[in-house]
Amino acid sequence: MKSAEGRGRTLDEAVDAALIELNESRRNVDVRILTETAEETIVEVSVIDQEAAAGEPAAPSNGKAETARGLVEGLLKHMGVRALVSVRSGSDPITLDISGRDLGALIGWRGETLRALQAVTNVMVGKHLAEGERVIVDVERYRQRREHTVREIAMRAARQVKMTGDAITLDAMQPFERRAIHLALEGDPDVTSSSIGEEPERRVVVGPRKPAEG
Amino acid sequence: MPGRDPHSGAAVRIRKAIALVNSVADEAGDEEITPTEIAEAIRDCLELTDVDSVPNVRRYLGEALDAVSDGMPADFVAMTLYAALGALREGSPD
Repeated sequence: MKSAEGRGRTLDEAVDAALIELNESRRNVDVRILTETAEETIVEVSVIDQEAAAGEPAAPSNGKAETARGLVEGLLKHMGVRALVSVRSGSDPITLDISGRDLGALIGWRGETLRALQAVTNVMVGKHLAEGERVIVDVERYRQRREHTVREIAMRAARQVKMTGDAITLDAMQPFERRAIHLALEGDPDVTSSSIGEEPERRVVVGPRKPAEG
Repeated sequence: MPGRDPHSGAAVRIRKAIALVNSVADEAGDEEITPTEIAEAIRDCLELTDVDSVPNVRRYLGEALDAVSDGMPADFVAMTLYAALGALREGSPD
């Protein structure tokens, strides 16, 4: 069983230090407190997930993904950010998950810093990627959570459109959020989605699908 | 107005240019953005006088405009615009 010792001023810091050394996620480990004083906490963190313990990669063997992961890990290290970078399993395009504590600054205002980080990552990894191939960067599943939220908004809007027959204009959203809405509603035979306005105030309009469109 | 960011006009325009570039990179699939439109948005930023009040902002915007002209990837243009936005933020009073 893989394990590591972590030290820090607090329990969280000590666990994070061990997780980074193990390159593991918090949900895959067992934590044992060795000593805990006002100045320092020492913990032993052991991997409990057997697959992870065997060192099986999170995603299918992908050199590009590993290169991207290494570059982002190095970038974060230079930024002085203590975080774990992993490749999301089975994701296409390549998605890097950054996890750790207090990473709000890495997400930034409306995800602006996260988006900037993704742009830098793609520039760094660009030469390893095929034409049109891109790397998605997510911090604490922020992007995934936003997509989930906007899909729920889309479903609610669709229900309302079906009841009233009136179109609804949603708030201004980022491209990945608008795409999530278009994808969520494309299979609905009763409603349709389109976008109006100019960036960054571009909004999705959900309206009833006309018979000719169906 | 006390506490108001004097560079907010430039920040808004740079964010608009970034949004256009990100729209190309992220492919929302609901609009067609041409390089001309992106170049126009960057030129709009360059027209503001307050970009000269903070070091490097004009330089980064110029580099972003060159990158669009040279057909560089959208992420490269975005990164350069983020650098301009960052420089603007660093040069702003707290």
